[in-house]
Amino acid sequence: MKRRPIRIPNLGAAQAIILHRPHPTVQALMRQLTAIGLRVTQTWSEPGPEVLASDYVFFDADMGHDGMFPWEPGQPPIPMIALIGSEAPGRIEWSLKAGAHAQLLKPVGDNGAYSALLIARDAFDAQKALSAEIADLRRRLDDRQTVVRAVTLLAARGRSDTEAYAQLRQMAMAWRISFEDAAARIVAAQGGADERSQRS
Amino acid sequence: MTRQIELGLLFSRSGSYALISEACRTGAMAAIARVNGDPRLDVRFVPVERDPGGNVDAYAPLCEEILRGTDARHVVGCITSWSRKEVIPTVEKFGGTLWYAVPYEGFEASDHVVYTHACPNQHLLPLLDWVMPAHGRRAYLTGSNYIWGWEMNRLARERITAAGGEVTGERYLPIGSREVGRMIEELRFARPDFILNSLIGPSSYEFMAAYRALGQEDAQFRPDRCPVLSCNVTECELPALGPAAEGLVAAGPYFRGVPGWPGPGTFGSSHEAAAFSAVMELARLLAARAGAETLPLSQLLAGDRGTGIIDPETHHTVLPVIIARVEGGAFRTIRRRDAVAGDPYLTRSRLVAAPALRVVS
Repeated sequence: MKRRPIRIPNLGAAQAIILHRPHPTVQALMRQLTAIGLRVTQTWSEPGPEVLASDYVFFDADMGHDGMFPWEPGQPPIPMIALIGSEAPGRIEWSLKAGAHAQLLKPVGDNGAYSALLIARDAFDAQKALSAEIADLRRRLDDRQTVVRAVTLLAARGRSDTEAYAQLRQMAMAWRISFEDAAARIVAAQGGADERSQRS
Repeated sequence: MTRQIELGLLFSRSGSYALISEACRTGAMAAIARVNGDPRLDVRFVPVERDPGGNVDAYAPLCEEILRGTDARHVVGCITSWSRKEVIPTVEKFGGTLWYAVPYEGFEASDHVVYTHACPNQHLLPLLDWVMPAHGRRAYLTGSNYIWGWEMNRLARERITAAGGEVTGERYLPIGSREVGRMIEELRFARPDFILNSLIGPSSYEFMAAYRALGQEDAQFRPDRCPVLSCNVTECELPALGPAAEGLVAAGPYFRGVPGWPGPGTFGSSHEAAAFSAVMELARLLAARAGAETLPLSQLLAGDRGTGIIDPETHHTVLPVIIARVEGGAFRTIRRRDAVAGDPYLTRSRLVAAPALRVVS
């Protein structure tokens, strides 16, 4: 599969938050992020809603714990970059569970932040796009039974299955709705129960 | 009391980009002479020179030799971005500072480097903003096979396609290669509106000569129709290019005789001027601050009470942007913008959209 091209985010005036206790690593990271052009804040105890207003989260993987983020575990709404000191499997596993999209090794020095930002943004976008695609495919999979019923109903008017299938496709195009939605409409019009209405 | 301060110079005096090294070295030496002859300054620079001979692997060890074996904490040097990237871990390790006086591709802001020449918002982007309305939006991109050419062409492609233009071809040559025949054949076929040339050294000289020959054969490829653009050619390479340079359009902070930056005086090229301004700024930062010569750059800048040229966040400088064409063996200014701040990550100026483009038939 051809890789989609990288999107270079506009980092000018983007907001980053560093969830880490005050430390030279935080200073070095702040210097890098400020040089790149981001606005940066740092907090450790009880991160509040300001985390949700950020565009990027850098978090301490060494001292981090469940419940430090104001969202469902592992469901970050923004790109997350782990600041890893001890490369112990337990801590790496926790970072991954927390939803890290990229990492920076501590001590943070003169570089690394820019590539972490770009990689985290790309991984976050890719994950989001894949989740949406999977949800759509799953919905269509669930609608297979409705499609079969619609085709059967159309075929009952003396058409072959292939003709009924083609007719359903044409209807979907004419109505400018998805194939599955067209099938649901046919089933509903014939008084049949729509699989989806039963689900919901 | 006058302080004798050792100052590292790390320039390759042989190899494929020796002309640029010589220009930078000339500028640095001129500034050292100026500083050492200035009775108002308590600083006397003692140059410590190392010559990597154009070998990229020699830079880091020689830089370490300067920082470890002498009292020098500041090194003026490096031409290619490749060598700069090799040297940065060394200056970081020893708390030294590299003063880099060459145009480069941006996306860097080391805590241990001062960038006194232009980055893309000070060369490439204004050059493209000039060329597309003037000549058209179909580009051919070429460069030497390392980060300078790659990133310049990536950025150019982004800017050109965003403006509705098209890249008709993109080709790279290894540093030092003279195999330009294939590019000329591609150009003959692609017939672009302009060429961005980020080749360095002999590759560039060979390409420019072959392109001039192509222009004599087919008027479409004469510089007034389809110009070659460069962000790295300055006067220091005009002797090597000879008549092949005629019509080349370059962007830079200085061209010979243009007043303003970096101050009074005439310089051979922007390379020379940028190295000169680097050493002058260092002298200003060290003057009347005994012991400052041992400080890392961050502390040196933090303690600076004057109005320095170095942006404390990015370590880049404010420069004029001059677009100039080679006419009769010298650069003649086409367009000029004063005081453009270096924006290495294109985060500070990117909100300023490219000027609306008119199609010029």
